[in-house]
Amino acid sequence: MAELQGLGAQLSEAEKAGVEIVAISPDPNEQSQKVAEGLRLGYRFLADTDLAVARRYGLIHARGGPEGQDVPRPATVVLDKDGVVRWFSVSNNFQVRPDPGDVLRAVRAL
Amino acid sequence: MAGGDGPWHNQRVSSSTRLAIASPVVALGAIAAYILLFRVAIVRNHPEAYVVAFAVAAGLAVLAVMRAGGRRWPAWVALGFSGLLLIGGAWFNFVAARVPDTPTALRMGERAPDFTLPDAGGRPVTLADYRGKKPVVIVFYRGYW
Repeated sequence: MAELQGLGAQLSEAEKAGVEIVAISPDPNEQSQKVAEGLRLGYRFLADTDLAVARRYGLIHARGGPEGQDVPRPATVVLDKDGVVRWFSVSNNFQVRPDPGDVLRAVRAL
Repeated sequence: MAGGDGPWHNQRVSSSTRLAIASPVVALGAIAAYILLFRVAIVRNHPEAYVVAFAVAAGLAVLAVMRAGGRRWPAWVALGFSGLLLIGGAWFNFVAARVPDTPTALRMGERAPDFTLPDAGGRPVTLADYRGKKPVVIVFYRGYW
């Protein structure tokens, strides 16, 4: 969430209209959506409750959760209009996330 | 600072006590700064900085113990507190927060795997629907981070 807030704060209104930011998490997403709406971030929060999509992307941290459950590996992926991967960042420490400035540079370079 | 008989003894006690106070101030200040500045990428992306701050706090507490004259407990309390934070913080950052570098399905220049997932309102969202329309940024996350 903190990463998403940083990303939203740096996007102009025009950019928010021109790019879709999709946040995928196994967490219940109602609260996240409320936060995003309150901050007018315009994200779509998608519920990947069984981690099927994280698994398809190879982004599973096996038994990485506090109760030993599998959790998604934090990652940010930039796709161009054709759905082709143009930039991505996968974290090796769950506290560390890409700098929103780097993500925006990748989006603006499309 | 109170306590001590002569000026020399007084000086020793107060320097130890000052260090014993500075130690938790540094440690708690680092925690507060990390939480308050969490959304600032440079702070969030250097979590080892709080481990360094805990090490500094522990160092101050060691100095406090070495300089302690009559009244030793503040220095020992500071050392216990900062020592626990240093061990706990180092374990959290270097062990618990590590994510193994396993291979992903992401390939530069290749199309990302398609998916359909429900949004917060239960409406299905399909990645391929954006094709030809908009670039997409996908953020996989969990919890507060």
